[in-house]
Amino acid sequence: MNGFKPLNIRLLSIAGFSFLFAYILSFLFEGKVLYSLLDLHGTDVSGFILTAIIAHFAGLLTCGLFVRTQAAAKNMVLGGIGLCLAATVPFFFVPSALWAGGLIIGGYTSGCAVAAWGYFLKAFTHKNGRIKSCADVLIYSNLLMIAVNVVAMNKSPFIGLSLAMLCLVIGMASIWMLPAGQENEQNQTIKKKTHGSIKNPLTLLCLFVFIITINSGLMYQVINPAFEHLTGLVSWYWAVPYIVALAIMRNLPMKAKRSRILYIGMAMIMGAFISFMLLGRKTSDYLIVDTLMLGACGIFDLFWWSILGEMLDFTDNPAQTFGIGLSANVFGVLCGGVLGMVVTSIGLSGAEVAVIALTVVCVTLVLLPPLNNQLVLLLKSHAYLAAYDNMSQSQQKEVVLNVKTINPLTVREQEVLQLILSGKSNREIAVSLCISENTVKTHARNIFSKYDVNSRAELISTLLKNQTGL
Amino acid sequence: MNLIRKRRNGYALLFVASICLAMWFGAAFMLEAVFIFGVIGAISLMLLVRQCRLLYYAILICDNRILAVPSALISTSDCQMKKSTVETIISTFGILIGNEIYRWGLNGVHGVLLHATQIDQKRIYLTFGDAARTIRVELLHGMTKKQEVLDISQKLLYETGITTDIIGW
Repeated sequence: MNGFKPLNIRLLSIAGFSFLFAYILSFLFEGKVLYSLLDLHGTDVSGFILTAIIAHFAGLLTCGLFVRTQAAAKNMVLGGIGLCLAATVPFFFVPSALWAGGLIIGGYTSGCAVAAWGYFLKAFTHKNGRIKSCADVLIYSNLLMIAVNVVAMNKSPFIGLSLAMLCLVIGMASIWMLPAGQENEQNQTIKKKTHGSIKNPLTLLCLFVFIITINSGLMYQVINPAFEHLTGLVSWYWAVPYIVALAIMRNLPMKAKRSRILYIGMAMIMGAFISFMLLGRKTSDYLIVDTLMLGACGIFDLFWWSILGEMLDFTDNPAQTFGIGLSANVFGVLCGGVLGMVVTSIGLSGAEVAVIALTVVCVTLVLLPPLNNQLVLLLKSHAYLAAYDNMSQSQQKEVVLNVKTINPLTVREQEVLQLILSGKSNREIAVSLCISENTVKTHARNIFSKYDVNSRAELISTLLKNQTGL
Repeated sequence: MNLIRKRRNGYALLFVASICLAMWFGAAFMLEAVFIFGVIGAISLMLLVRQCRLLYYAILICDNRILAVPSALISTSDCQMKKSTVETIISTFGILIGNEIYRWGLNGVHGVLLHATQIDQKRIYLTFGDAARTIRVELLHGMTKKQEVLDISQKLLYETGITTDIIGW
């Protein structure tokens, strides 16, 4: 592997992505460098920023269509970074049509590059270490973003822009050194054992991510304008609680219950809004509100990033899965931003705006725990199915016999159950047994009743959780 | 099954008509009429949903038939009646006697429990029910060859898990 130890490859991959992501956060994606440049030239900001975000969203969503191998992913990341570099150059000059073009090209290609990195996350990080890799890229990219922001806001936007471009160059060099077409043994084994479709868990994750980020977008629009006068502090402190929360989450033991941490995050986000309503607009007030709000964002972000990382094991196209997951995030930010703008633009007082925003946040957050439960169940069932596939036929039969049913299964139901456990969909089972899909659904429902479960994921978990050693 | 289908269509028609009338009276601000037709609409919707579910199960039973005969003799603990129906169908998921559906389930949950099946030279007997009521159905099977009887009993075991008593063959 080009003479690099696996650890170095992982670090190189993290470094490459962190530098790319730092560029996106500090410039393309509502970055302070972009805001500073637009302020400097007195240009209208909203159109430019919206264009960049939409292009980024499109890049994330469509990358999986044309990146299907690790070698193609490497080319995409390198090509994407190169185009971002070229698209950034016009920002050293006065505003022109090239700015809009640059934002569209930069937004789209950076989206593609980010999604393509899904291949590297899958290939160069062990399954159990993905939460750490995700935390690392988020921490390093935010630290770099803070450095670029401070320079852009306190020295010169052009120096900030140069630093953002330097990030791209270093990111490109790191990715360049990564091996192109090799996948580690573990991933090759997993690839052979891809079970069923990950459509359901991915859809659920996207909904989960969308709900979380719609809150972030809303808060950004509601809370940020209230502390605009603290420019110096905001430039560096804004992302510090986020980084601290990520660092704490990163170092939690593997056995820690992540769902409980999710509740802590929910409490923090509500605390942030209540503090915002009750406190003033002084420095200490900002520190409290920002710490609670961004701390919660750090918890939520690492939570869904790590689930997305786990999900890569069950897909043949990590760029597509990673891109779709992240595009839900971008879409959530967009919708939250629009919602925030609507709420703030109708001329209500600050307290009223905060109450409306808090209500929206509470309603959306209530949805998180059931969504999380479903998601965990679906992911577990994928993991169990992978282990089930490795068992011998006698072990597979034993698994089914070991769990007691309310009534014994008929021979037909046993056949259907075996096919469910081999990861087949209802349609596939119907084809292999030459029966209608409705018949399979009815058999499946009868099986659920006999095992006293409510869903396929619950059935798989009930049958396999004690057998697979997972 | 045809009766179920006809009932479903009738309720669908009633539902659409009552909603249209409710809207029409609503436009004319005749609130009492809106209320009456609204209630009719809600009731017909509930009946429509019930008939749709029945039809779904009737189709499922027809699609997974094990044996189909023209008539049935049904006896419960307190009475006995003969039903001449268009068709009686024994299936993986239940029995369809004319327009009546008995679904196999778990002791009263999601249907009735099929207790036993017997086949003699003329008839096939099915005993099913829940804690409250047991029903016995006799059907003239019309089979003349032993192999046919064995096939049917094998299929019943395979699909429903019930071993059939074969008498006099």
